[in-house]
Formats: sequence, structure tokens, C-alpha cells
Amino acid sequence: MALAHRGGIGRYYNINGWLFVAPALGLIALFMIYPILWSLWMSFQSGRGMMLKFAGFANIVRLWNDPVFIKALTNTMTYFVVQVPIMILLALILASLLNNPRLVGRGFFRTAIFLPCVTSLVAYSVLFKGMFALDGIVNSTLEAVGIIASPIPWLTHPFWAKVLVIIAITWRWTGYNMIFYLAAMQNIDKSIYEVARIDGVPAWARFTHITIPLLKPVILFTTVISTIGTIQLFDEVYNLTEGKGGPSNATLTLSLYIYNLTFRFMPNFGYAATVSYVIVVLVALLASLQFFAARERDR
Amino acid sequence: MDMRTYLPRFAAIALAGASLLAVTSAQAKEITVWCWDPNFNVAIMKEAGARYTKSHPDVTFNIVDFAKADVEQKLQTGLSSGTADALPDIVLIEDYGAQKYLQSFPGAFAPLSGTVDYSGFAPYKVELMTLNGQVYGMPFDSGVTGLYYRKDYLEQAGFKPEDMQDLTWDRFIEIGQQVEAKTGKKMMGLDPTDAGLVRIIMQSAGQWYFDKEGNTNITGNAALKAALETVGKIMSANIYKPAAGWSDWVGTFTSGDVATVITGVWITGTVKAQPDQSGKWGVAPIPALSIDGATHASNLGGSSWYVLESSAEKAEAIEFLNAVYAKDVDFYQTILQDRGAVGSLLAARGGAAYGEADAFFGGEKVWQNFSDWLAKVPSVNYGIFTNEADTAVTAQLPALSQGTPVDEVLKAIDAEVSAQVQ
Repeated sequence: MALAHRGGIGRYYNINGWLFVAPALGLIALFMIYPILWSLWMSFQSGRGMMLKFAGFANIVRLWNDPVFIKALTNTMTYFVVQVPIMILLALILASLLNNPRLVGRGFFRTAIFLPCVTSLVAYSVLFKGMFALDGIVNSTLEAVGIIASPIPWLTHPFWAKVLVIIAITWRWTGYNMIFYLAAMQNIDKSIYEVARIDGVPAWARFTHITIPLLKPVILFTTVISTIGTIQLFDEVYNLTEGKGGPSNATLTLSLYIYNLTFRFMPNFGYAATVSYVIVVLVALLASLQFFAARERDR
Repeated sequence: MDMRTYLPRFAAIALAGASLLAVTSAQAKEITVWCWDPNFNVAIMKEAGARYTKSHPDVTFNIVDFAKADVEQKLQTGLSSGTADALPDIVLIEDYGAQKYLQSFPGAFAPLSGTVDYSGFAPYKVELMTLNGQVYGMPFDSGVTGLYYRKDYLEQAGFKPEDMQDLTWDRFIEIGQQVEAKTGKKMMGLDPTDAGLVRIIMQSAGQWYFDKEGNTNITGNAALKAALETVGKIMSANIYKPAAGWSDWVGTFTSGDVATVITGVWITGTVKAQPDQSGKWGVAPIPALSIDGATHASNLGGSSWYVLESSAEKAEAIEFLNAVYAKDVDFYQTILQDRGAVGSLLAARGGAAYGEADAFFGGEKVWQNFSDWLAKVPSVNYGIFTNEADTAVTAQLPALSQGTPVDEVLKAIDAEVSAQVQ
């Protein structure tokens, strides 16, 4: 059936089209837009449990004077600054190694590195907690090999607990990013590499001058996705530290703090909503910064 | 379309549906209960349920066993959501958190003032569950504390049970060092993310994170300062086995790795769950601080049962709690001997079980002792922000163990608590 008014303004007035998308739009409005607006309204309220009162900007003032929030923010930024570059670089290197057609057992390695990504967040966190216990398999292996003399207090020392969280999320997400790079690399025309090889460009230069520039849109995409993921980090820390973000708040993230404000402490939904808007602002800022850094400069 | 012609028909169908539901519920009433310790309150609730079902065969019980943190968080989530479908009929709440729930979710819990005779219970317990003149909840156990010690390990180290009575904390640490030197066992298990020990020591000297009016009481709190100093000394003397989390901590003594346990009387069921350790344990009063107002008695935890206002079986649940927990003295004797539950029903203290010797503890009259210590527990106001203060204290424990001066630690705790309390 041909449409009477193809294109033009008439398209926007086609009632049938609107009817088709109406259920989806209605559900999105009800379950996405309404809660987002409501949480914005909530962030201007404060109080205990259900006894919320309008508080203006009191919650935002409270943010500045809240050492726990500052700590959670610093931790989250530390994870982001340390973990995202390590993971992106690692994923790039692994992808380019596994893209080599002469590598034996390529399929096996690809699967092995991607596999962590399909495990449940909770399951692997619990597993990591066991493996990195004081007398767990990691410490006993490191001791047996002779790298360390006494067991590392992975879960009870503020520094090592952070390291453990970074190891855990890197293990979980590197394979995920690698798959994007692999897919993108296979789209790069082989003739470009051929020309480079004929011109005598060494392998390293081929990687930095051909692969990386051609992967730029994908690298940007994965960086933004990883940034959002790291800033919303919750499951791993919750399960590794029994929901406390310990030791000494050293692993507390913004999301975990929101959870504690809502479900563990005297419930203050208004303040928790304010902290969640900090995440929104942070993600928006960082993502636009990354888009800005990766913009096309030549044109 | 005229709705009026259809209304009666709708009403009839709705009524039929409702009466069908009513019939089914009259035939079998199920009371759902949330609680958290399979060796303790879960087992006790099963015993209470069994007693009630004998006289009320139509009532069955669904006792759900979670971790304590999960019970609290699930309850808080359910109450915040405003819908009660996922909530149980009866929930166990630890005393530290009771006022928080009562004040933040008004109308969520059923007042029992008219039904239950509260004059029969320990007054401090009733006070914890009173808000605006109404009393909510059924008082349950007390968390009176004791020093559980392995007689065999201490004997190897040269200490008799007499040497364990009425210690000071300094003496306790000295003994710990000798126990380790002679037996290779650590004195106690300690979870650096749990402020329980700090709370025990602090309350033993009659103070809390908050004063009687509920204002924060941190920097000028001599008992908290002394408690932190003591925990710092225990850490620097290295007489403890570190534990990560509750089950790990329980494992330190069930496995026989440590010589003592300092905690609430409710741990008795877990201690006694190791039959091969029968006769090897003794119980003494906890060590005391050397400051004004210091005692050998304190409290850790303790909890009470609350009925949800929205519960479909509210009346039956209240009737059940009143029949067993407020009246059945024999029930309290059973749970005392089987589980170590020191209830807060005063009449139960006169029962035979309290005077009996316990073979597991080498024939000591442990219950009489706990009952005596309970009378000496200094009364404090738990306020509504204990979770926040606890988090602030645990955040500073690593700094404390690395030798940061206690006054600085107190200032840091105060800063964190003040920002949270509002």
C-alpha cells in the first residue's frame, strides 16, 4: 500500500504511524521519563523515609560538606582514571594480536578472553572474593612462586582493595571491548596494510598509524561506554565488601553510596537522588569531553 | 453505554471473588516471618510457631531465613516502595534500627499497646519500641554480653577460670599475648569492618554515639575514646585473627582457632553447635575499662518482633506473638536452654532453666550469670543513626591500627557522622 503523502510535513501527521509507536512511547514516558523527572524533583527534597519536605538547594550544599560523598567521588574518579585507559589499551593490544590470521588457536583465545563478559557480575565478584582472601589461591600462588613473602591483604587494606576492584573489572570487561575492536579491524581493508608493508612500514608503526586512526570511532564509543560503566560501578564493590565499600570507605563508589543512603542508612531519598544526579552530570561532562578530544581536526 | 446496568453484575463477580479468597484464607492462615540466624531466632520462631499451631491447627508458619543485612535492606526497600505485597507479616528488627523504621515509615507497623501487657517486660526494651506514646512490636531477646573462653587453651597458657573473672582490658591483652606464646592460638577473632566490639566497650561504660537527647556525642565521649584505644591496643598487640565478614568471624571460633569470643549471649546457640567442643568453654563477664562509670556488663544487638500494619494476617500475627512471647514462660525456658536466648519477659527469669547448670560449659550456671549481668547493663539511647556512626567508626579503624592518635580519629569520626546526621 503506497502512502498518500510520502515525505514532507504530511509524514508527521500520519495518524497510523503515531498509533504504531504510541504504546512504546507511552511505556517509555511512564517508565523512563516520568521517573527521571520525579527523581529530579526529589533531589530538591529532604527528610527521613517517607517524611520528605521541599528543601531547595540544601542537598547540593550538603554534598560539599559531606566527607563520605567526597571520598566516594574521589574513589570513582580514581577507578575511572586508572582503569579505563588500562582496559582500553589492553583490549586494543589483545584484539590486534588475535586479528593475526597466522595465530594458532585464535578461536580458543578469543572465546577465552570474551568469556568473563558473559559471567554474572555477582558470581564473579563472589569468586574473586574467595580467590583473593588472605589464605586464598592468589596469595598462596604468589607465595609459592616467590613473588611475595607475606600474603597481600587484598580485602582488608585500603590500597589493595582498590587494586582488587580494578583487577576484577578489568578482567570482566576487557574481552567485551576487545570484541568491538576485532570487529572493526576486520572491516579495515587489507590492501592498506599491504601497501604499508611494501613501503617498508614496520609493524608497530602500522598499528599506531593505520589501525588506531581507523578504529577511532570505535575507540571513542568504547571509551564512552566504559566511562559510563565505571562511574556507575556498583555490583563488584557491593559483593566484594559486603555492601560496605570498606575497608575505610576505600572502595566506596557513588552508586554504592546512593544505595547506602537509601537502603542501609536512615533513608533519605532526596539526598540520594541528588547524588545520582551528580553521576548524570559527570557522565555527560566526561562523554562530551571525549567527543571533543576525538573530533575531526583536519576538516 | 450505561454503566449502571453493568455495575451490579461487576459487583457480584467482585464479591464472589472476594468471598472465595476469604474462604480460602479462613481455611489456612499462613504467617510469614523474616528473621536471620538459623541457630537462633529462626530456630526459636520455628519453636514458637510449633507451639501455636498445636492450639491453632489452621495457622501455618513460613519462616524465611535471610542474612541480617538483607532482612533490613529488603524491609527498607519494601517500605519505601509504598506497596506492601512483598513484605512479611512479622519481621525481626534489631534494637539499634527500631526507631529508624518507626520514625521514617509512620503507619507501617501495627501498634500493640492495647493488646500486649508491656509491664511484664524489661522497661529498656519497651522504651526502644515506643513512639509518641504508642508501643510497637513484641520485645524479644537481650544481647547481654559475655566473655566466652576456651578453658583448654587458657589452661595450657597457665590460666584458671578464676583468672578470667572481672578482667581489665589491659590484663585481657596480656593474657592474649601469653596464650599466643604458649599455644600459638590467637586470643580472639576481629572483623575490621564491624564496629561491634567498639560498641560493646563503649556501652559498658554507659555511653553511646548519641546522648540522651539524641545529639551526637563523639569528640567528648570518654567511653568511645577508651573503646577505640582498647581496640587499637588489641590490633597493635596483634592478638587477633582478622576476619572478613560475619561468617568468617564465626569461623574463627567454631574452627577452634581462637581462645575467646566477646559478644552477645545470642551467640551461645552457635557456640554450642560444635558438640566436639562440649566442656571446653567457660563464660566470664567481659573485661572493663579503667574510666569512671566502667562496668563488666554491656549489650550487643538484641532484637524484637514487629507486625506489619498492611499484613493480611495482622490480627492472627498479633494474637500469636501475644500468646507465645508475652505469656508462655515455659517457652522461654526451652529457648534459653536450647538456644541461649535471654528473653526480656521478666516472668521468665523465675523459671527453672535459669538456675540450671549447663554441661556444655562444664556445669557452670551460665544463665544465672547472664541474667545477673543483664540487670547491670548501663542504659543508653541508641538514637536513629547507629548505622551511620558505625560506618564512620569502621572507616577509621585502619588509621587507628596504623597508630593515628585517638583524638584525631575521633575528630574524623565526628566530621563524618555530623555530615550524615540530618
